[in-house]
Amino acid sequence: MMAPFYKFGLFSEEMSLVVAFVTGIGFGFFLERAGFGNARMLAAQFYFRDLRVLKVMFTAIITAMVGLFMLSRLGYVDLSLVYLTPTFLVPQIVGGLILGVGFIIGGYCPGTSCVSAATGRLDGMVYLAGMIGGLVGFAELYPLIEKFTKITALGKVTLPQFTGIPYGVLVFAVVLMALCAFMAAEWAEQKFGGKAPGKGALLEPVLKLTPVRGFALALLGLSFIAAFAGSPYRGHAASIDTRELALSAGTKADHVSCTELADWLIEGRNDFLLVDVRDAKDFAEYHIPGAMNVPLATLSADFAARNEKVVFYSDGGIHSAQAWLLLKALGFKSSYMLFGGLEEWKDTVLFPKTPAANAPTKEQVDFARRAAVAKHFGGTPMEAMPAAAVSTPSAQPKPVPALTPVPAPVVPAPAPANAPAAAPKKRKEGC
Amino acid sequence: MSDPNPHTLAEKPHMNPYWAGLGLGLVLLGSFVVMGRGLGASGAFTTAVATAVHTVAPAHAEGNAFYAEYLGDGSVSPLKDWLVFEVLGLFLGGFLSGALANRLKFTIEKGPRIGNPLRLLMAAFGGALMGIGAKLALGCTSGQALTGGSTLNLGSWAFMCCVFGGAYALAWFVRRAWL
Repeated sequence: MMAPFYKFGLFSEEMSLVVAFVTGIGFGFFLERAGFGNARMLAAQFYFRDLRVLKVMFTAIITAMVGLFMLSRLGYVDLSLVYLTPTFLVPQIVGGLILGVGFIIGGYCPGTSCVSAATGRLDGMVYLAGMIGGLVGFAELYPLIEKFTKITALGKVTLPQFTGIPYGVLVFAVVLMALCAFMAAEWAEQKFGGKAPGKGALLEPVLKLTPVRGFALALLGLSFIAAFAGSPYRGHAASIDTRELALSAGTKADHVSCTELADWLIEGRNDFLLVDVRDAKDFAEYHIPGAMNVPLATLSADFAARNEKVVFYSDGGIHSAQAWLLLKALGFKSSYMLFGGLEEWKDTVLFPKTPAANAPTKEQVDFARRAAVAKHFGGTPMEAMPAAAVSTPSAQPKPVPALTPVPAPVVPAPAPANAPAAAPKKRKEGC
Repeated sequence: MSDPNPHTLAEKPHMNPYWAGLGLGLVLLGSFVVMGRGLGASGAFTTAVATAVHTVAPAHAEGNAFYAEYLGDGSVSPLKDWLVFEVLGLFLGGFLSGALANRLKFTIEKGPRIGNPLRLLMAAFGGALMGIGAKLALGCTSGQALTGGSTLNLGSWAFMCCVFGGAYALAWFVRRAWL
């Protein structure tokens, strides 16, 4: 299983919008079930009369947290690919306070106001209109406050990273804290709201394992296991499915040919990383435009995200094959080798051979195209060689383009962005 | 909440909060596993606002760094967005659940000691504050508290404490609206 499914390209962006719609239906359904379409019921949280907000929110948080930890620890989900909103501590503290004040005055938060409006509540609809006004106001004031919104930027950081406490231990602590808070909430509801813990409460006055208690114990038990389970991130440990590996090697499904690569680069495709695994010195002398340098000895699991498509090359084929194997073992699903390596790149892309004058037209036309490609990459077509010379290709000079700049009067295509490594421009992913 | 009305079916009681939380948690977990992201709400409205402003005043929207971030590079409609579709589902899900429990009703939720105009004014004002707060905090209760809470995101936990802190601190002053 490769999850998150979308991040491994298991379905299209169009399909993801269907997923979004279905997810939203589930989200709205349970918010309404919980009573969150009703502002008075939400506000009761802040007078200790009915602490549903706390119970629903934290049950959802610990359910998803324990589930995500376990699925990641078992290797089903790559936790590093689950989106984290970057932390801007001070703006988030100030924003949280404003949001809390807005919550108690308006009676809703954005999600619950949608449910409220959808079930006919006029206050929910007016709240949404107010929120839109607030968003416009924020946007218009943005040039003035932009600096403030960017202060105390800590990047994507989790509590385990920040505190140094192991992830699983924190999972256990949060579950324990939540369950204690639930019981305290039930006690407070009795004291301030006159509502005795009834059926379905943790403190229901019966001496038996009710379903709700069973659920709470299950979460506690799983999180207790989590506390001793180690890191949920995959790290450097490797595992290989040898049959799958043999299949992809045997069918050459792991190959990218030089002409294919040349086409991708000219098209300006940026959905893959081109990685040169040779030494920094060789890389500095010549590399394929847009390549990044990751010498084989430094290759590790964290050089790229596991859902990244990676094409390796080296001089010949050995080092890129070793890099390919390493990444396959580390769980990268889309890892490829440049077939023939740089040697083949020079022969077929940079310095294609001019066909003999009496060659068929098709070959001539094909050569014209290849010559254009060669010029694009700073190479030059080779003159047709006498038969004797062709048999000894090692005698041919193979100038490195960087050293012998070729005057290229015709550029075959508009120069592409020379950086396939750059991420495609994406819009915000967070809330 | 409602006067007994012989012409409408009785509202069904709300779900046990722990089971509703479990349901919500599983939806959230499903989103993590399938999409690699959590839930959200306010972001969809920001996208809608940015798109609307861009339609009315394109130059103004493109010149504003905040709007620009939500408009993307212009190759696809900004509304073709995950959160926008999720929030459309959110409306439908809420409606379905409300319909199944006989809770669909044109009404205003408020305490008995406040009039409708003041309640609506408070709703609008609270909504506006929420819009500002959510953008400052890079998310609302859905995107930050629920999603960030369950991924142990540092900023989300700081945010969550402040939401409860802010609401509790002001609750006494606005008690007439709710109690």
